[in-house]
Amino acid sequence: MQPQGSMPKLSLPNIRNIIAVASGKGGVGKSTVAANLAIAMAQSGKKVGLLDADIYGPSVPTMMGITGTVDQATTPLPLEKHGLKLMSMGFIVPPTQAVIWRGPMIHRALTQFLTDLDWGELDYMIIDLPPGTGDAQLTLTQTVPLNGAVIVTTPQEVSLIDARKGIEMFRQVRVPIFGIIENMSFFMGEDGKKYSIFGTGGGEKLASEYNVPFLGALPMDPKVAESGDAGLPIVAKHPESGISLAYKSLATNIQEELKRATPAGELPRLEL
Amino acid sequence: MTPIQLFPKSLGKKGEDALAISWNDGHESFISWGHIRANCPCATCKEERGKPKDPFRVLKPSEIGPLRPKSISPMGHYAYKILWSDGHDTGIFTLEHLRSLCQCDACSKNTSTPDNP
Repeated sequence: MQPQGSMPKLSLPNIRNIIAVASGKGGVGKSTVAANLAIAMAQSGKKVGLLDADIYGPSVPTMMGITGTVDQATTPLPLEKHGLKLMSMGFIVPPTQAVIWRGPMIHRALTQFLTDLDWGELDYMIIDLPPGTGDAQLTLTQTVPLNGAVIVTTPQEVSLIDARKGIEMFRQVRVPIFGIIENMSFFMGEDGKKYSIFGTGGGEKLASEYNVPFLGALPMDPKVAESGDAGLPIVAKHPESGISLAYKSLATNIQEELKRATPAGELPRLEL
Repeated sequence: MTPIQLFPKSLGKKGEDALAISWNDGHESFISWGHIRANCPCATCKEERGKPKDPFRVLKPSEIGPLRPKSISPMGHYAYKILWSDGHDTGIFTLEHLRSLCQCDACSKNTSTPDNP
């Protein structure tokens, strides 16, 4: 792995807990999970920030109903909506413009998002990572005092293969894994039957393989995509629906795992 | 039983020529700076090590004296980055890699790495 310039660990004393939401595979619903988890935590009375670390393909603006770019002269960042503090590359770059950057720029942008913006006091910062094990992941694990990560996967093997890579990366860089979330786990038909469209048990199998907690399964529900596309995530739109309760249960499980996790020790230094 | 995760308790220098590491499993490592540099894991150094040696390569002024680290910085919770006296700083030495480079008598018997054949 290549370092990108000098990367001292960032000091973020006003943010009590930083949790990365990651997956190896794209398209497993990671941003949906991150956004709804963040809202579920905020609804429990916590101060929560959501940082969209997907510089190339930010989803948070659409999911949170923020269209167009933000005039920073009149509107300070991070934005506030649905009880969350929000930051995304999509707030400063129009959606039709591609962000064509190499790794060091990703590093610079993410560290600026974290250190140059006034996040205020936060109980939780949820970081929605892009898929894969690239520059964003490397920057965050090397420079941000992450408490841990949750891995989102769908049940099928093609997703599990990449989720394993994500887990291995976090293990290698010694970031605790709070557990696995299985998204799109099943579909409840109008006939009341449960359909396992992508197979069953993948998330639990993965959790067992790596001896990490299985945090829960989320159903596949067209209302989740509809509400996300409409800028009002399901937990904000229908806080008492079954899927919102599943998100709240996940949020509680993650908070419990966070309490249980042993914080990674700081490495000793050597002054030469 | 889960094996203990390797972690350094302290870092120091052994004279001018070596890094000393006290590990949480009680092991005391020392590794010469030359041995560390010879096993730099960065892509450039790996590629260089794969090439046949050029006996006529002209040394740069910065390569004439013995290489020394100018700084050693923690990277997250899992590695150190070393800035060398010749300006090289692209190697990230994971804790496991540093342990594998240990040159104490017990470890030297079991290792075969560049500069420690």
